[in-house]
Parts: sequence; structure tokens; C-alpha cells
Amino acid sequence: MRSIDVHAHLVPQCLLKTVDAGGEWHGLRLSTGDGPKHLEGHGRTIPLPPPLRFTPEQRIDDMDQQGTDVQVVSIHMPIAGYRLDADQGLKLAQEFNDEVSSMTKQWPQRFAGLATLPAQDVGASITELERAVTQLGLKGAELDTVVNQSNWDEEQFLPLFKAAEELGALLFYHPQPADNLLAQQMNDRYSLGNSIGVPLEDTLLVAALIFGGVLDKCPDLKVCVAHGGGPACFGLGRLDHGWKVRSEARINIQYPPSHYLGRMYYDTVTNSEAALRFLIDTVGIDHVVLGSDWPFVGWDPSPAGWVQGLQGLTQEEKDKILGGNIETLLHI
Amino acid sequence: MLPFREDQTHWASETRHAEPPLEKTMRSIDIHAHLTPQCFWRATQDGGDWHTVKRDQDGQGQEIAVVGGHRGQLPPKSSWTPEQRLSDMDSLGVDVQVVSPYSGFYNYHLDASIAIATSRDSNDEVGQMAKSWPGRFAGLGTLPMQDVGAAITELERIMSQPGFKGAMINDQINGKWLDEPEFLPFWKAAEASGAMILFHQGGNTLVSGRISRYHLPNSIGNLADRTVNFASLVMGGVMDACPDLRICLSHGGGYTCQGIGRIDRSWETRLENQVHAKQPPSAYLRRFYYDCIVYTEQSLRYLIDTVGADRVVFGTDWPYDMALDWPVSWVLGMESITDEEKELILSKNLENLLGI
Repeated sequence: MRSIDVHAHLVPQCLLKTVDAGGEWHGLRLSTGDGPKHLEGHGRTIPLPPPLRFTPEQRIDDMDQQGTDVQVVSIHMPIAGYRLDADQGLKLAQEFNDEVSSMTKQWPQRFAGLATLPAQDVGASITELERAVTQLGLKGAELDTVVNQSNWDEEQFLPLFKAAEELGALLFYHPQPADNLLAQQMNDRYSLGNSIGVPLEDTLLVAALIFGGVLDKCPDLKVCVAHGGGPACFGLGRLDHGWKVRSEARINIQYPPSHYLGRMYYDTVTNSEAALRFLIDTVGIDHVVLGSDWPFVGWDPSPAGWVQGLQGLTQEEKDKILGGNIETLLHI
Repeated sequence: MLPFREDQTHWASETRHAEPPLEKTMRSIDIHAHLTPQCFWRATQDGGDWHTVKRDQDGQGQEIAVVGGHRGQLPPKSSWTPEQRLSDMDSLGVDVQVVSPYSGFYNYHLDASIAIATSRDSNDEVGQMAKSWPGRFAGLGTLPMQDVGAAITELERIMSQPGFKGAMINDQINGKWLDEPEFLPFWKAAEASGAMILFHQGGNTLVSGRISRYHLPNSIGNLADRTVNFASLVMGGVMDACPDLRICLSHGGGYTCQGIGRIDRSWETRLENQVHAKQPPSAYLRRFYYDCIVYTEQSLRYLIDTVGADRVVFGTDWPYDMALDWPVSWVLGMESITDEEKELILSKNLENLLGI
């Protein structure tokens, strides 16, 4: 069974070439001070650790060392262009998506790709998603867990979900690692924005899609949530209970949240075997897919090797997680 | 996927499931049972105020507490007398409630003099309940946390009285988290007095800043705030500065036990997070206690496996709609929890910890 990694970040070479030459790439520039160079722009400071600068060839070397056969690459979320004017956000997306497409064409055995979309403009997002899937050969799109101040349960996003459902496109949700709800409210004390805020964002996204009725309105929509959906599965009982006792939780859905959780897919970036086991027991073995968080590969140097070594899973179950589920889902 | 039961789709918060509770075989002590004090109900009976706190009704006749511009719904049972409460405890199979305040009356956002007055009033009533029914009630006080000196004074006052076991406070005090240096004297006083501090949100949570729909500020927000609280106390050095401090995190500690791997990872990779916490955050898990309000057997099993059965205590969230219908039966009926673990959770841990 091939190992297919659904959670692999990419900073495109077109960006690096432009900023390394002193230019600006859709609002992003290289820092000018002493010390390691980072990206600045979109109201963010974005670290650029060396692996984020890897060429596709270097990336493939790293994948070989990690035992990953295929990466489904997606944009490093801090450089997505939601805060730009919609026109420039679209241009950023087109340029990124073109590069990802060329990677998948040059190394079809090693890369598949997800588009980025100018989510601040739903109409432009639909147009670009259609282009990405039908013309560029991408498998779907990666989206932030929130669009500036808007949650994904809002009515304005429904046409995008309908388009994704129609196209068979996967929507892979990944939050901002350092500029999310919790980081903003906590001034990022003790890196809580990353350690607690990231999985919190994943859970808020799961809740928005479920309670917003999106999964009822789009029964064939393909959604995958990063970091195993955060603690959504662990905290599911409280969501169900809130649905039972509070009418405002039932306005869009006639079944409890637990009815919907297993409709989506979740990656293995859970930081522990116990947490992954809980996820599998909650959403089912068919809905968990390999993720690495490349290049921020965390607790094990080989995410695929980690899955292979898990106790209590049959080889058939491991194969589903490693690649079988995502093969079926995306026809990779 | 969790089993979905059609018969659960129609649920009324004031109606208990018809299924009878399991036969009670063990003592039970509830660490998570709120009190809206009778002194408030009496003072506001004829349109009066209780230290500026007023009472109103919404369109459906539901009672509303009006606290400095905040409006909080009061469920019918919140006006019950101690005798009515005892009767309900009997039907639930709860032997002892460690009564804690209604979080809507923290009053941290009001002038400290008001919070001091409401805290004393409320605590005096809890103290009287514990005195009148020493076998049925113990107490957790409420404290004017916006004034650390006054909070310490009130904590020491109640801890000198029989029946009091500690206090319940919010995860954050007017936007400040409890690892701020100004709170260290409070933690030292709590440690010295042997008080157990129960954390429970009041008002907005971190999630309120993002989405107010679907009850999520409660159903996700409570758990998020509790997790941040754990991490703040650990990485802020409070747990190292106060080695004998007793803390209970309500709602099972939120997402703490599930998310501890990623919290450990951020401690390992970021040196600034190691300044105060000398060990990885997971090494502090067993420094805390956690109530069992996690709603599913799988989550309770996970909590026990992560923190140990000797760190999980029984709680109900009485009298609110987020409480389970039959919380004692819920614990007793679980197949994956051993009888020994059930007894630790339902009573033994709190007996040992609080001398109840």
C-alpha cells in the first residue's frame, strides 16, 4: 500500500524567487532585519524554516526519508490571501495553483495537489475551484477554518459547498498556526495559539459545518479536517447534549452532532496513539487518513512508519489509513 | 460512529428520561452542584435588589438575574430551598453536594465592594446549609477575585468554618488568567489553607469572541477555557510555586487530556515555555483533579486512562440543563469502568481529599 500524506504544506517557488530578488509577492516580502529571514505581510510575520524553502526535488528526498510515497500538497496557510483585495487574492491563488499543478504533472507518482482559493470572494472561489479541478487536475482545495471574521456555517458559503460537491472536490480544512482565535485573545502566551488554538480551530470548524446544516444540504460533500479534527471527537458528548437541551443548537439539524461527525475525514496528526485510537473508534477506520504536517513533522520522524507500528490495528486497517481511504476518496 | 437513538431526538430540558435510575450501590459526593442563594431570591422578591443585583422575567416567564448589565437565565430549580434540593438529591441518589456558587454571581466585573458583599452573603448561606445538614452539604465559596486581598480574606474566613472545602472561581478574572503574578498570593493562601479551588467558567468564554450560535460558547468554550487554564497554571509556574495546591478542573478539564500531546510538544520545542514549568505539561496532569462531566463513556474512560482513576471525581452540574438526567446511574451503568474505579469517582476520592 502506498502512503499518501494529505497534510503537507507548500510555500511555492514562485513566491520564493520573487521575495529573494527583493520583490513583493501578493503583499508578502522578505524581512530586512538581522537574523533568520521571514516573510512579512498580510498583517503577519511568517517564519521560513529551511524545509519550507525546499525545491520539489529536495521535498521528494525528504519524503523518501520519511517513507511517504505521495504528498497531497497544499498552501502553507499563513500565506493564503484572504486578507487581500479579492482581485489580488484571486491572482495569488491562480499563481499558486498553477505551480502546484505543474508539480503534479512533473511528478505524478509523488504529488497530488489542493488549490488555494480567494475565500473572501465566494464567486471567484467557485470559478477558481472549477479551473483547479477541471483544468489543472487538482483534487480540491485547502481552506482556513475561518474567513477573516466569517464562520463557514454562514449562508454566503453555501454556493461554494455546492460547487465542491458537484466537482467531487475535497475541502481540506487547516487553521492559521499562529494567528487564530486563541492566539489573538491570549497574545500567544506559552504558544497556546498553536498548542491549543490550532486544534480548537479544527473543532470550531467541525461544529460550524455540522450545526450549520452544511452536511445535510450537501450530502456528498467531501471534507477532511487537519489535526484529527482537534478534540471534536473527545468533546462530542457535550456537543450532543447541547443539541438535546438547547433549541438554538437544533435550528439547522434534526440529528445530534454525533450523527454527522463520521461523515467527514480526519488526518492522523493527533500527537499520540491514544488520541488516534479514540478518533478511529469515534469516526470509524474508513474516515481517518495519513497526515504528517510536513515540514513540521511532530512526534515521529516517519508518520507512515508510526501508523505501521500502531498496536491493535490489523494490516488491513493500517492500509486504509496509510492510503486506501484517500485513494478511494480522491482517485489518486 | 456513536450509536444514534431516535428516541433522543425529542428532549425537554425539564423532563427526565422515563428510565428509572439504577439501584444505588455506592455513596456519591457531587463536587459540581450550584447554588443561587435564597438571600438573593428573598431580597429581589418584591422588585428589590440584592447588593445591586436585580431580578426580571423574560417573555416566557423565565426568571432572569440582572447583574450589572448582564442578564442570566435562572432555571426553575435554582430557586429551590435546601429541603427541595435534598429531595431531588434523594431521587438522584446523591448523598452529598459540595455546594458551589452560581457562576452568574461571580460579580468580578462589578465594584469590588459589591462582590465582597455578595460573596459573604452567599458563603454565609452555604455555611449555614453545611451546619444544618452536615451529612448532606459541604461548601465551596465564591470570592471577590477582582480584589486579590479581599479574596484571600474571604477565603481564609470561610476556611476557618466547618463545612467549607474551598472555593469556585472563573478561569479568567476580567480577562486576566490566573498565572498573572498578582494572583500568586491568592494561590499561596489557597495552598496554606488546604482549600480546593474548583474552576468553572462564568459569562463569556474564548469561543464567544468567534461565534455565539448553537450554544458553542458553552459546549466548546467551557472546554477550551479549562484547557487554557491548565496550560497557564502549569507553564506560568503556579503548580511549581505551590506544590501542595489542590485544583479541580470542572467538565473533565475540558480538552486537556485529549490535547496534552500537542501541549507537551510546544513545551519541548519552545524554550520560553520551559522557563517556569520544569517538566513537560503531561507530568502535571496528576497534580489536578477532574470532574466526570464528559458525557460519554469513551471520554470518561480516556480521562481515567490519562490522569488516573484517583484523580477523577463525581460532578453533576446541578441544576442546569447541561446536567445529565441520572448522573449517578450514568457512572454505575458503564461497562468499561471497574467497580473499584466507580467507587473512587463517586465518593472515595473526595472522601480522602476533602475529609467528607
